[in-house]
Amino acid sequence: MTTLSPTTSPLIQGNQIPRKRLYGIMAEFHDPAALMAAADKVRLAGFRWWDCHTPFPVHGLDQAMGIKRTILPVLVFGAGLTGTTIGFCLQAFTNAASFSIWALVWVTGYPFLISGKPLISLPAFIPVMFELAILLSALSAVGIMFLFNGLPRWNHPLLSNKRFLRVTDDRFFIVIESRDPRFFASRTEQFLKDLGAKTVEMVEA
Amino acid sequence: MSESAPAINFSPSNIRGDALSTPGTALRILGFAILVIAFVMGMRAQDQGLFLRTWMQAWLFVTTISLGALFFLIVHHITHAGWSVVVRRPAEAIAANLQWLWIGFLPFVFYWWKGELDFIFPWANLDALKQISAAEAELVAKKSAFLNDKFFMIRAGVYLVTWVVLARFFVGNSVAQDSDGSMTHTKKLEKWAGPAAILFGLTTSFAAFDWIMSLNPAWFSTMFGVYFFVGCCTGGFAYIGIVCLRLQALGYLKGIITTEHYQDIGKLLFAFGVVFWAYIAFSQYMLIWYGNIPEETAWFLARQIGEWRWVSVVLLFGHFILPFLFLISRWTKRWRGTLLFACVWMVAAQWFDLFYLIQPKIPHDIGVYDTYEQILAHYSNESAHFFSPWNWVLLVGFMLMLTGSTMRRLSSMGLLCIKDPRLNESLRFENM
Repeated sequence: MTTLSPTTSPLIQGNQIPRKRLYGIMAEFHDPAALMAAADKVRLAGFRWWDCHTPFPVHGLDQAMGIKRTILPVLVFGAGLTGTTIGFCLQAFTNAASFSIWALVWVTGYPFLISGKPLISLPAFIPVMFELAILLSALSAVGIMFLFNGLPRWNHPLLSNKRFLRVTDDRFFIVIESRDPRFFASRTEQFLKDLGAKTVEMVEA
Repeated sequence: MSESAPAINFSPSNIRGDALSTPGTALRILGFAILVIAFVMGMRAQDQGLFLRTWMQAWLFVTTISLGALFFLIVHHITHAGWSVVVRRPAEAIAANLQWLWIGFLPFVFYWWKGELDFIFPWANLDALKQISAAEAELVAKKSAFLNDKFFMIRAGVYLVTWVVLARFFVGNSVAQDSDGSMTHTKKLEKWAGPAAILFGLTTSFAAFDWIMSLNPAWFSTMFGVYFFVGCCTGGFAYIGIVCLRLQALGYLKGIITTEHYQDIGKLLFAFGVVFWAYIAFSQYMLIWYGNIPEETAWFLARQIGEWRWVSVVLLFGHFILPFLFLISRWTKRWRGTLLFACVWMVAAQWFDLFYLIQPKIPHDIGVYDTYEQILAHYSNESAHFFSPWNWVLLVGFMLMLTGSTMRRLSSMGLLCIKDPRLNESLRFENM
């Protein structure tokens, strides 16, 4: 499997139409230092659709891969502010307003005096505003994280690769996807071999 | 990147602070002289109550900073923490101040001996209280099994001795490890950190009840012990940050305390000093506001009349809203200039919080008025005595003593827990 070129590849033999598309090329490393050095070079080679897979978090890998910090915290802060605002409006409307709005059905506010406090009493509203801020922050943090990572998904091409299974144990992988504009099967394969990968393998989609 | 970590300089010039000894001694002597002179003059002051409350405020300010550092050590050992080993020695130097801070309580013992403890604690003289407010005296008399001067002094002794013992235990074992490198010290500290946390929680809560809450003996709040504890964290964590930043600015601990450690100190300060403080302070306020029972709301009323209204607003913005917006970002915690600013700000906020807790007095005639507005109008000129000279002289005196003693302690016991088994983990620590 490891000696691949466009003509001798088991994927593309003669003029037989390949049954499966090529997902990408997978390079295997035996230690995080080698992976990190290789990731540095893959980034410098200008690839965009590629990723590293490790059994545990490797410090400094993000910098080696050139991954920018996520904007997730800013979005979550916005979600928190939204929750606070919704919490206030919800209570002010249901507890202090007397007009009607359409929210799927017509609903009317009901000015309700509670223990002699003003109709709009901020101290009483704050717990609900706080909880809604937390609720929306937490849900949006998880939800946007799923969105950014392309989750949920049923399967992934890498998961049907036997060699890749050791990623949960003691192997480190770099996978360059075939949709990368700089991807060219034979050249990319040679490139990964030159990086010191122990094995290089095509992965079917 | 773990592979390219630079070689760390463990030479004495980097991890021993011998040069801090002389200025430390000078600051300490200066601070002590200021406090002695202030006390002698304070005994002749016209408003003895104001003087004693200010003394309590300034003394508790430095005490809460040291207690916060002690709490940092306890949590470090309970959780078997790795990241904080390099900042533990500064925390130990601050916590070690608890060994002499009991001296600051002696003025109250002196006033008790003179029979004048009621200058500050109204419950100490029920007859005098009856003259001012019979209703309040009746309430307070029911608490006299707890609030009487002898039991009060015994309890104070218990708290102060407990803190001395805890500080000696946590600092002593860590320093002993520097010379013998034995793992037994770490084991012992981790084993006793749990019981120490219980002792710490009980003593700080009851100290808060005794020394601050009983200034208004008819008032009570079950949240108060936690409120005081959060204040300890605010002052302690911020002061640890200041000490670490200053040490590095003076050229010590180069390459040892890194941006990663500062970010974690900033996180702790943000979580405890800003958010948790607001959570506790608001919880206390909301329950009392909603319950609307006169003997409870009077405490907040005293903080809304005259100048105290502005003190409350400044506290809300200065202790929560502004630092929350400032410290929520990642880079303000990682960049030294902004973190130093935030730490100094939060130490000041803790002092201001104690001012807000200790100084206001509940007017005795609030039952006379029909409405809230009438009380506000009548007390519209109530002064907070913010610019009273005691407020500043005692603050400077105690802060000089705290800083000087911390410097001396750092010079005598080194700046790094050099034989700690988790030192390497701490040196290589990175936030994900």
